[in-house]
Amino acid sequence: MTRRPSAKIAAYTGVAALALLAGLALGRPELVAVAAPLAVLVVAGLAGARDPELDAEVVVDRERALVDDEVTVELSLRAAARVERLEVLLVVPPGMEGPDGATRTWATAVTLAAGEERTLAVRVTCRRWGAYWLGDVHLRAHDRFRLFTWERRLEQPSSLKVFPLPETLRALVRPLQTQVSTGTHVAAQRGDGIEFADLRPFLPGDRPRSINWRATARRGGLMVNQRHPERATEVVLFLDSFQDVRGAAGSTLDQAVGAAASLAAAYMRQRDRVGLVSFGGFVQWLQPGSGQAALYRLLDTLMETQVFATAAWKGIRHLPPRTLPAKALIVALTPLVDERGVAALFDLLARGYDLAVVDISPLTHAGRAGGDWGELARRLWVLERETLRHRYQRLGAAMVEWTDAVHLQQVLLEVEACRRRAGLAPG
Amino acid sequence: MPAPRRARARLACGLAATAVAAALALAPLTRVEGPRREALAWLAGAALLLAAGAALRAPSLLAPALLALLAEYTIVLLQGGDRVDAAAPLVAAGLLLYAELGSWAREANPRVHDERRVLATRAIGLAASTLAALALAALILLAAALPAGGGLARLTVGVVAATGILALVALVARPAATGARRR
Repeated sequence: MTRRPSAKIAAYTGVAALALLAGLALGRPELVAVAAPLAVLVVAGLAGARDPELDAEVVVDRERALVDDEVTVELSLRAAARVERLEVLLVVPPGMEGPDGATRTWATAVTLAAGEERTLAVRVTCRRWGAYWLGDVHLRAHDRFRLFTWERRLEQPSSLKVFPLPETLRALVRPLQTQVSTGTHVAAQRGDGIEFADLRPFLPGDRPRSINWRATARRGGLMVNQRHPERATEVVLFLDSFQDVRGAAGSTLDQAVGAAASLAAAYMRQRDRVGLVSFGGFVQWLQPGSGQAALYRLLDTLMETQVFATAAWKGIRHLPPRTLPAKALIVALTPLVDERGVAALFDLLARGYDLAVVDISPLTHAGRAGGDWGELARRLWVLERETLRHRYQRLGAAMVEWTDAVHLQQVLLEVEACRRRAGLAPG
Repeated sequence: MPAPRRARARLACGLAATAVAAALALAPLTRVEGPRREALAWLAGAALLLAAGAALRAPSLLAPALLALLAEYTIVLLQGGDRVDAAAPLVAAGLLLYAELGSWAREANPRVHDERRVLATRAIGLAASTLAALALAALILLAAALPAGGGLARLTVGVVAATGILALVALVARPAATGARRR
């Protein structure tokens, strides 16, 4: 621990020395009497000052939580010598809230007897999704006379991933093409399945149970049913994290991450394989996968999404080909603010990907600008965004604007309706 | 304890320290008559300002505030002639009480929640050190009144004490980093 003398020592010692000297020079015992308590306190403090030899440990009760969950940070403290006052300061990361609504830091002061072990349980509320490090604790011990402090910083970071609250989604955007693995989507191809597709004449090798006896009786020859098989799909969630438009009620990135988490969970529930491409200051991607492990892997990656200002990838306009599997449905979540994100979506359309775009409106988060010029700028921005949406739609992408007031489910239904009109959706 | 209450605790400590300093600064004025009283009143005012500043706002003013109060007391003492001042233990206890209350005010950070046990220990410690200061100063005055040998012995004791205190000053004046050690 780092020992620091307080300013009190110098003040007391200086005043006591001057008073003693004055008492000697003037021959006045009263000045000595006035100086003595200060001098005695300093001497006693110096004689009794001992490093408290603090042992401390920080434990966070879990690794994953949901937004608005409470997480307990346990601080175990033990001192070899008595500590009259021990200040414990826990750094609360932005996006979390300490007890009594404390932001940034939470601090308390306790007394520790020699050998006493104390455990402080600090309840921290997760206010925003993200990946956090908890466990940055500063300790400051005071001696009996407050002449010295001993300081120490505990760096025992525990990672905590806070996931956004999942939204219930009953209908999702259906992909145009399916994969070969079994799933819940009715494929356009014909094969073994439940959904009726067509009738055809019997061929050697057909199973007797697939014979349609009514059609056979009507047509005079053996007819068999053809069916659509149920297949899984691959969905890639494309997250444009170049810029974040933040307002009082949230931000475009918050909306995008929340929607991506809900979409990932919903698609995986219906046994689809879901991947992620986070396209921002740098490109992160996860190959599509299914199951709980893949979901957690995706959510963990998603929680690390942030606006990352870097010059390394400043000219990036298109995604590396390996990041996107063929026949995958790409659901893009973008505020259409950064031209690199906009250009990347045009590039995907040009490469023939099945693309559905949810345009997260930054207008609600940006707030209203004052004055005529502000209003004019806002109208121009709205016009620019509309023009951009029309350009995407002309190229065949289903694109719907998502304002803050609308539920994600409604937006997905609108996207699906757009795709059906454009002949991109099955059924 | 919510933060506003903790801020009030800090203010209360600072105001209590200022009140003690006011008593220390204003009480000597009653013992001086004539034109010197006006000059002393200026000194008392300055000392009180410094003391209030140290207790409420700028802790670095603690040493100047203590010195100003001490200077005022010394002047009054010298005005009083050779008679031993019986109020000296009260002044000693008052100075210590003022300094400790000021230090408590500085320590009472509104963002830090002090446990009741910490506050109780501090209050008891403060009361005990004030009483101990009173007793020690009274003992010194009593010892000074005893016919204990010649002036030389007393002078030697005084010189040794002053030298010891100066050595302490030198020890304390070292840079903080030299006293620091990392674990």
